[in-house]
Amino acid sequence: MKIIVAIKQVPERDARIRIDASGKWIDLQDVEFAMNESDAYALEEALQLKEAHGGEVVVLSAGPERAGKTIREALAKGADRAIHIQSADETELAKFDALGVARLLAAAIKDEQADLILTGLQSDDLGLGQTGVILAELLGLPHATLILKIEKTETGLKVLRELEDGWFLHLELPTPAVLTIQSGNSKLRYATLMGIKKAKTKEVKVISVADLAANAPDSKPVVLLDAVKLPHKQRTTQILGGTPAEAAAALVEKLRFEVRAI
Amino acid sequence: MSSVLIFLEIKDRAISRISWEAMAAAHALGEGRGLPVDVALTASPDNPILATIHGKAPRTVYAIDNPLLHAYTSDGYTASCAQLIEHVKPAYVVFPHTYQVRDFAPRLATRFHQVLISDVTGIETHAGADPSVPPTFIRQLLQGKLNAEYHHTGSGVCFLSVQAGAFRADEPEAGATIIEPFLPQLDAAQIRVQPGEPFRASAQTVDLNSAAILVSVGRGIKEEANLPIVQELATALGAELAASRPICDNGWLPMERQVGSSGQTVAPKVYLAVGISGAIQHLVGMKGSQCIVAINKDENAPIFEVADYGIVGDLFEVVPALTAAIRKAKA
Amino acid sequence: MNLLIASSPLALRAGIPSQMLLAQMQLAEPAHFSLLEKLLLIALVVISAALFWKRFGIVVDKILKSRKDPGFHLFPIGKRIWDFFWEVLCQAKVIRERPLPGLAHAFVFWSFLAFALVTLNHFATGLGIGFLNPAGFFGQIYFFVAAVFALLCAISIAGLFIRRFFVRPIWLARPALPGHEVSWESGVIAGLIFALMATYLASFFVADASLAARLLWWAHTLVILSFLPLVPHTKHLHLILSPLTIFLSRGGFSDIPPLSGDEDFGLVTGKDLTHLVSLQAYSCVECGRCTEHCPANNTGKILNPKEIILGIRGYLNEYGPTAEELLLGKYNSQEAAFQCTTCGACEFQCPVGIEHVPIIVGLRRGATNTGEWDNEYGGKLFNAMERNSNALGLSALERDKFIQKQALPIFDGTQEYCLWLGCMGGYDPKGREIIASFVEVMRYLGTSYGVLRKEKCTGDPARRLGNDLVFQQLAESNLETMQTQKVKKIVSICPHCVRTIQTDWKEFGAPPEIEHHSEFLARHQAQLPHNKTEEKIVYHDPCYLGRYRNIYDEPRSVITAAGTLVEPERTRERSFCCGAGGGLAFLGEESGQRVSSVRAQELVATGATTIGAACPFCNTMFRDALANEENSPRLLDIAQIAAMQLPQPDAKPQA
Repeated sequence: MKIIVAIKQVPERDARIRIDASGKWIDLQDVEFAMNESDAYALEEALQLKEAHGGEVVVLSAGPERAGKTIREALAKGADRAIHIQSADETELAKFDALGVARLLAAAIKDEQADLILTGLQSDDLGLGQTGVILAELLGLPHATLILKIEKTETGLKVLRELEDGWFLHLELPTPAVLTIQSGNSKLRYATLMGIKKAKTKEVKVISVADLAANAPDSKPVVLLDAVKLPHKQRTTQILGGTPAEAAAALVEKLRFEVRAI
Repeated sequence: MSSVLIFLEIKDRAISRISWEAMAAAHALGEGRGLPVDVALTASPDNPILATIHGKAPRTVYAIDNPLLHAYTSDGYTASCAQLIEHVKPAYVVFPHTYQVRDFAPRLATRFHQVLISDVTGIETHAGADPSVPPTFIRQLLQGKLNAEYHHTGSGVCFLSVQAGAFRADEPEAGATIIEPFLPQLDAAQIRVQPGEPFRASAQTVDLNSAAILVSVGRGIKEEANLPIVQELATALGAELAASRPICDNGWLPMERQVGSSGQTVAPKVYLAVGISGAIQHLVGMKGSQCIVAINKDENAPIFEVADYGIVGDLFEVVPALTAAIRKAKA
Repeated sequence: MNLLIASSPLALRAGIPSQMLLAQMQLAEPAHFSLLEKLLLIALVVISAALFWKRFGIVVDKILKSRKDPGFHLFPIGKRIWDFFWEVLCQAKVIRERPLPGLAHAFVFWSFLAFALVTLNHFATGLGIGFLNPAGFFGQIYFFVAAVFALLCAISIAGLFIRRFFVRPIWLARPALPGHEVSWESGVIAGLIFALMATYLASFFVADASLAARLLWWAHTLVILSFLPLVPHTKHLHLILSPLTIFLSRGGFSDIPPLSGDEDFGLVTGKDLTHLVSLQAYSCVECGRCTEHCPANNTGKILNPKEIILGIRGYLNEYGPTAEELLLGKYNSQEAAFQCTTCGACEFQCPVGIEHVPIIVGLRRGATNTGEWDNEYGGKLFNAMERNSNALGLSALERDKFIQKQALPIFDGTQEYCLWLGCMGGYDPKGREIIASFVEVMRYLGTSYGVLRKEKCTGDPARRLGNDLVFQQLAESNLETMQTQKVKKIVSICPHCVRTIQTDWKEFGAPPEIEHHSEFLARHQAQLPHNKTEEKIVYHDPCYLGRYRNIYDEPRSVITAAGTLVEPERTRERSFCCGAGGGLAFLGEESGQRVSSVRAQELVATGATTIGAACPFCNTMFRDALANEENSPRLLDIAQIAAMQLPQPDAKPQA
């Protein structure tokens, strides 16, 4: 099975949030980066399929040079080779909307003839949750989202999808297909020293965004980011006082309207 | 003429609350931009659900009907919605942001060379301003740590989905609505994904991870005989019961219910820690919860450091009061 | 001597007057040896030596064919010489840790030394070139002294024989070899040694140049020549190897060697075994002192430090040092290797200089660095350390909140000390209390200090679990931060942080000076107020502070200033681990009894009303262990004990 896993390097979850000078993103100074969490699960799923059925796992990522570190981490965990769509600086990719980025990804893998394409469910930074689905439409492939488990069958794949409120669903679909993977479904393997050493000899094909965009259909973005702002509320502890009955009533209010859990 | 087209979703034989909220958002958008609002949903035209659609009355209700749509599939819904959109030609297409919408709406938008503005938490219509200024859509980035403002350009359809709870559903209003059946052309070969029947995880196994709400009990409960107090709270909330290590060590609750470094790691929507002090071994197991509520009689208990909401009080008084309040709210 | 001879039953029965006895109490030797006898002697010696070498040569070969030890330095040689003198010649550790059997062994060993010239002379005599005259002045004294030793040796070896075969302490057994509860070879060797001493002593009671003397001489010779080939086939190889093993120790306590280049992932297969590991494997005397003190073994886990070492010996015997079979396979199990808390009790106890901890960590490295270790908790831990840079997987913002709440000054290069919070001090509620108390003391003393804006875990759990990738990343990142921030001196509340920063980080750079807060507190005792009460405080020696760092008195000085110090049964160098070390605090539930429970009970049993700790991990483990107990003692770090005596009133939370 040839599996392509699209991964993204995102700012780590603890990153200090300060708006940068342009007002359109956070200040990246002193920010550390990590592999997007659900992408790590997608990679794990791909590696497990390879271990069970043989084949190749190819990692695909679009980002500046620093994304190379996350790509190598994926190679260290067991991916066979990688394709790095390298942007010239921190702002080049921001000029593309989700459709634009998906077009770049599609262009980069058009000759690969993959059996399966996996992405994480959504990214920890932009959180759109769409790249995999858009990619499926661009490539004309069937897709499914929020996948927890993948099994290979005679005719294609049988997958387990998560629904709301503790419900689940099995789906069958043919390959080639695109799946977006939910976090938490398996235990993630850790990157090992041996893996990192082996990764040094694995192929990383670097293509520049400019080259790829030149060959891809014209994609002016249709959705544009104007500004980012800090929300008013910060996470602080609200102590609800009064008699037990009063505090209870206040809590129920919060749970209903702020947390929207009941 | 241009319009706002809102797709509603049916859940458990009724229109879901999040759909009503999205419809409120659609109406707000329509009013702000001077556009009429149409409603669409996948149902047969004689489905009694259609009669329940009121709130601010939409202009038309499109009932999308085709045997191939009886079970949801991304291919089926993408194709049928696309055909309706071609027919109605709205300026805006609004969805509630559900798992189902996340599954097909991006595909649908791509088919129109558009991008879905997903999980919108706010809309500024700029009513009264220069009509060439498009509305601003607000969504969250970095897991809620940033708000971002977007706008749509170009003459194509603008697709958006609305976050649960971002808008308050409107009160029902009387009004006449035209129900129009819409029969999309679908071919069985188009539907590539075969869904099974939805199922729940077995009632036997304790799966703390699939529960949206967890009520967790600690040493503050003092004795095994007092557990029913907390059990009732859990039942009222529709929550699963969990516990800290000492409770499981004593055998008062099975080990599968233990949350912590040597038990399970959970991240539910709401984690209610009752009589739990907040030792690090427990914290590492639940720190990822979206909302943490703590009830403890010690105001210095470390659990309050990580809680979003806290009640400092005797759990034997607070918990029954809470159970009663929840039952009242749900009634 | 006169008394002895006069009261000797033999002498009395013979009715020989004491003076004559004195004159006659000398070593009897055969008159002369015929050519035939000399040739026979030479032949036997040659055969014995050949048989000896047949086996010993193989052992030497295996050791020499092992890999070089990276990071091994012969110099400074002073400590090596001292250790050799103290531990080998004086048998200090042998006696101190098991006094009676140890003393018996010491007598046997000293006898061997004393007999050096005796034996040399014995064979020389057989060839007609004996150089010590039993009648001569020097000869008389020397043979007499040797006789005293022989007697002590004979009594000792008899006693040890009785201990092994009748008392049967479990530690001497080999659980890995069922049916081998008693070591028959040890019995044979004991018999031979006894025979050696008996034949020697008997020579004092026969006539010189008599047939009896000749028979005794040949008996003695045959015993020696049978003993020699047996040595390399049994644990008595330690006779030759252990002085070398002690001399060639790694240098520090539990010194984990660096990896040597791109292909080195730790102890994966036979090819990775080094000179020291192989030497140590062949030096093991199977005494079981290591296992006796192992917290894992004592709480029902399968880990047995003795069997780890003997497992390597078994591997070397079967496969050799160039084999590709996994070390964690036939002779050692991954499960056992990962039950170790790295407390070092085994290494501390070993009388022949075996360093268990680097070997166990080496085996773990071999499993972790190659991805062979497939453990859910381990994977989560490593991912958390990579993602969040702390072992708990918590957001760094939590630590920032704590710093803000306590109004801790940020280190900017101008303060004297960098206060290292560590994962426990930064995130654990209990650890934070310890920091808060220590900060109170520093404020009282007017010490200038600051905390780093950003700290990453020192990497201790990764290091002990064998994940060199994560460890290297953390160590290098931290070293860089410390260099940029110009950190010169660090004080920390956690012995694990202290050890890792001071010693393990050296592999990747030059760490700043660091001390444990107990050292700081001890130094400032004179300037701190004391409010001594009658309260009984039991002190638990943390493994990484006690055995690893040799700090025993400093924390005690803080306690004795506040109350009455009480020692648990297993104290100081013999302190029993709390169970958290070696990364085990993060690996979920353990099999058998909980180590922390066992130790907590031991501390409670002293009747003390307060348990004094000096490590946030020990603190958390005991807190957990005593959670369900009613009326358990207060659990306080020494920082909290010190802070309690400061002038201002403070509400210290109870355990």
